[in-house]
Parts: sequence; C-alpha cells; structure tokens
Amino acid sequence: MSEPIIELRHVSKVYHKGSADIHPLDDLSLTIDRGDFVALMGPSGSGKTTLLNLLGGLDTPTAGEVLVCGQDLAGLSSRELARWRCDHVSYIFQAYNLLPVLTAYQNVELPLTLLPLSRRERREHVVQALEIVGLAERMYHRPDELSGGQEQRVAIARALACDPELLLADEPTGDLDAHSAQEIMALLIALNRDYGKTIIVVTHDPKVARAAHRELHLEKGVLARDVDLRHEPT
Amino acid sequence: MRLLLLNLLRKPFRTLLTVFGVGVALFLFCFLETVLNAFLAGVNMSDASRLVVQHKESIIFELPMSYRALIEQIEGVSSVASASWFGALSQEPGPDGAKREEFFAQFATEVERYLALYPEIQTPPEQLRDLLSDQMGCMLGAQIAQRLNKKVGDRIALRSTIWAQKNGSSIWEFNVRSIYTSDSPTFDQTMMIFHQKRFDEARQFGQGSVGLYLLGIVDPERSSEISAAIDARFANSPFETRTMTEKAFNLQFVSMIGNFQLLLRSVGSAVVLTMLLVSANTMMMSARERTREMGVLKAIGFSDGHVFLLLIGEALAIALLGAVAGVGLAWLMANVLHYNPKPDFFPVFFLPGSSILAAVGLAALTGLASGILPATAGLRLKATEALRSV
Repeated sequence: MSEPIIELRHVSKVYHKGSADIHPLDDLSLTIDRGDFVALMGPSGSGKTTLLNLLGGLDTPTAGEVLVCGQDLAGLSSRELARWRCDHVSYIFQAYNLLPVLTAYQNVELPLTLLPLSRRERREHVVQALEIVGLAERMYHRPDELSGGQEQRVAIARALACDPELLLADEPTGDLDAHSAQEIMALLIALNRDYGKTIIVVTHDPKVARAAHRELHLEKGVLARDVDLRHEPT
Repeated sequence: MRLLLLNLLRKPFRTLLTVFGVGVALFLFCFLETVLNAFLAGVNMSDASRLVVQHKESIIFELPMSYRALIEQIEGVSSVASASWFGALSQEPGPDGAKREEFFAQFATEVERYLALYPEIQTPPEQLRDLLSDQMGCMLGAQIAQRLNKKVGDRIALRSTIWAQKNGSSIWEFNVRSIYTSDSPTFDQTMMIFHQKRFDEARQFGQGSVGLYLLGIVDPERSSEISAAIDARFANSPFETRTMTEKAFNLQFVSMIGNFQLLLRSVGSAVVLTMLLVSANTMMMSARERTREMGVLKAIGFSDGHVFLLLIGEALAIALLGAVAGVGLAWLMANVLHYNPKPDFFPVFFLPGSSILAAVGLAALTGLASGILPATAGLRLKATEALRSV
C-alpha cells in the first residue's frame, strides 16, 4: 500500500481584495501518494497555483490542515518553513527564475549553500544534478547564454540539488517551444520513474497531463475531477 | 557573500556612481573636519597644566614685566614665562625672485622659561645652546623653516606691523640658531620665538611691558583657584589681570570668527544627508528591480532573514566602498602628501584619527539607514507575491 506524501484536510483559502472575498480553494480534501506524478489542471483562477503554494509552504491556508512529508505546515514558523522547504520541497517555475548574475553551476549551488556541506560535497551535488539534466558541459554559462529549454533544465537541476522528496512545477513547459517542452517532460518522467520523486505539475496542456499518473481538475476552488490515468485507456 | 558581490556588479556603472557619490560626500566631510581641526589646533595643543594671564580688558593691552616675580609667589604656580606678540611678515624672496611677505606667529619671550613650559618643543641641545648665547638669535618651527627655506645659521628678516625699532625701521633681523620639531601632531610647528630682552631693548615703545604671561601650575585641578588668586592679587591695580586656562585662551580666537564649528558641522550634515538620500534611492531602486528574485530565494529555502541581510549587506558594502575611496583620498592628501590649502592660515593641517573613525562610522550608518527600507521590504515580502511580480 502506498504511503501518502500529501494530505489536505478541508483546506480553504480566502483572499480579501477590497471589500470582496475571493475563495481560490474551498474545503478541499485530497491525498497524494509518495512517488506519484500528478497533473493539476483547471481554468485560470481555479486555485491551482494557490494549492501549489500551500503545498510548498509559501502560503498558509485560512482553514484546514496541510500535511506534507509528514509535517503539519501550520505549526512551523517562517524560519522553520524556509528550512523545511530547503530539505523537502523544490520548485520549478514557468519562467525558470534563474538568478542572472550567477552561472548555471552557481544557480544550482545556491540552495546547497543553506546546508552544512563542504565545498567539495556541494560540488558533487551540483555536478550530479547537472549531469541528470544533461547540462554538465554548460555549467559555467550564465542564463543569458543558454536557450529557454536549457535554462529550464538548469532550474530543474537547482530543484534536484538538495535531493527533495517533492517537486512542485508550475507550468514548467509554458514558455517553451514544443521540442523543448517534450524534453522537459521526458526529464520529469525520468525523475519520477528513475529517482522516485513525487511530482506535481500545474498545466493547461493535455499532452503534459498525459505524462502523469493522476489528473486533478480544480474548478472554482473545489476538486471537480480526480482521474487515475494508469487505468485509463491510452 | 558571493551573491552580494555579484549583485553589486550587476549594474557596475550604477554601483560605481553611487560609490563615487558616497566617496565624494565623505571626502568633503573629512576635508571639513580637517579644516575644523586646523582651526582648533591651538585649542587642541593646550595643556591643562598651563594658564595664561592677560590684561583684564583686552589682549591688546600690555602687563608690566614686574608681574612675573609677583605671579611666581602665588601658591601653586610652578613656572612663569612672559610672551609678546610680534606680528611680523617675512621678507624672503619667492621662487620668482620677488619679495614674498608671509605671515606666521612670532613671540618675544624668555626662551629658557618658555621652553620649560612647552616640553612638546624638541630641538638639538647644541642649537639651544647657540640660541641662548645669541641675543639676535631665534628658533623656528620645522614647517615654517622649510616653507621659508631657512636652516640653522641663516639670517631672517621680518617686517613687524606693530613694533618699530628705535632707529625707526620696522624691519627686524634675526639669526636662525635653532629649528624645533614636535612629536605631537597637534603642536604648531610654524612659530618663531626669540629673546624678550633683545626685543625690549630695541623696540621704540612699550619698554618694561609684556603681552601676557604663560604659567605652569602644579595641580591642573586647582586651575580655577589659582586663576582667582592671581586676578585677586592684581585687582584694583592699574593693570588688572584675567587669568584662564590655555584652552580657554585659545578658544577666544576661534570664537572671534563666529561659531565656525556650527557652520562647518551644518555643511557636513547637509553633505551626509545628501549622501544618504542618493544611496537610499539606489538601494530601493535596485531592490525593487529584484523583487521576483527575492521570491525565488525564499521559494528555494532562503529565510526572510537571509534576504534582509543580503539587501542590508549590499547597502553597507556600497557605503563602505565609498568610505574607502573618500576617506582614503582625504587621508592620503592630508596625512601622507601633507597637502595644506593655506599653510600661513592653518599651521596644523591633518585629518585626525577620530575624524577618520567618525567618517567610517557615518558611512556604516548611511549604509544601514539607506538599506533598512529595502531590506525591511524584502523581509516582509511574501514569496507568492514576489513570484507574481514582473
């Protein structure tokens, strides 16, 4: 039986915008198993990114419980959350979000500087992460010297550097051409299959969603559909 | 640390301009401090164990020579020397051969007694012996000797603006018998002293009087009591006295030109405030441009404190680089190259260590003050909002 890595219990989120209340998530409960590959879909404003932010501890729910990697995130201070993120969760963004002043190597090394590692150990991690994404030969290039697909691969290497259990990807192929998008998806599939990473991908693209094991459809902050793609005919 | 340095180099021209702005402001601050220190040189070289006795009404009135013996009898006074302001201009040819009149301080005094009161003055024993045995002799400070290109054995001619000789001439000639130096950086090395006896015998008027008395006292804590005793001794006489500490005496001259200290400090404050605004503006602009990056840092595990320290560190680094440039240049000019914009007006011109520390402290404060707003904004910034920013 699979062990859950994520448990959401009656989670709601309310934003106040002027006099109006916005409910991106409304009494949402769900469980995601360790090693799963989940596609999070839904129209704009359905709460996908809010859910991703809650799972990464970047945001806090208005009501309900969020348990990730066995930790109730509500009980952590912002400092503890930062440390917890560093140990358990990594983000992959649509716009790559590499620091332009740093080389690919330095970008990947950045989260490792928060860990008690020697310089040599950091180097081993960085090189390994860059080798996994196939960019070891371009480690001393700055982001402006890389293509969009290469930048996203460096961003994935950065996400892998700390060896997190959970990868949260917010439209990772949204800014890429079809070929690069295919490469990135192949990489994410390999990370899930070969390295056992739990991956949650926010996407609008059905092709991306087809790579996942499970498809969650959000609509107006509630789970409208939960499809297990492993048992769907392809 | 690496990220901090790389962020500074992100827009090198902007960083350079900001560092330059802070540097110029701190250079001006140091320059003003140097000028202020030069103005207060007399005050700073004052010793708490020395008192000055002048005429009660004004320093322009003289006191009888006979007072010296009477002052010596007052309990607590250890030594007394008289001194008269000579007020003369040098008559030396300049580099172009034309006569160059230069002003510097000269005193007629009882040389041996005067030197006993001022242990700061250092001169070779053989030069002192020659000076004491030559009534036409004088002692020059090392700096004025260098400026006038004089060495021991030379003659020097001065035109007094106050004292004429009995033959009607206001030109006085002296033999340079001694050149003094001092280990104290605040001690004036542009003075000249010569024999009171020769001065009194040769001058056209004023015989038997002196400008003031300098005294050494045994216990500096009793200065008020001894001053009161001296003034009481001469109360209701034709020449009443006013006795004060050497510091108070020298401060009189500084106060004659108004509250110069306030003026200079006000200009200095305006300069520092401008520097603060320039630096704060740059820091805020730089931080705003990187809002998204701060969100990324927080998303990958950096704490709010890390982001705060990164931004405040950048502001501090800019301010301290400016300090290295501005204070360093001022120190180089004043203390190493000995640049003095007005040597005859500022006998002592150097940047004191306390001012260097103050300037570096100001730079650090400026860095902190200019960085605190963007750093606090970075601290409070929510990663989710930052990641949405363009």
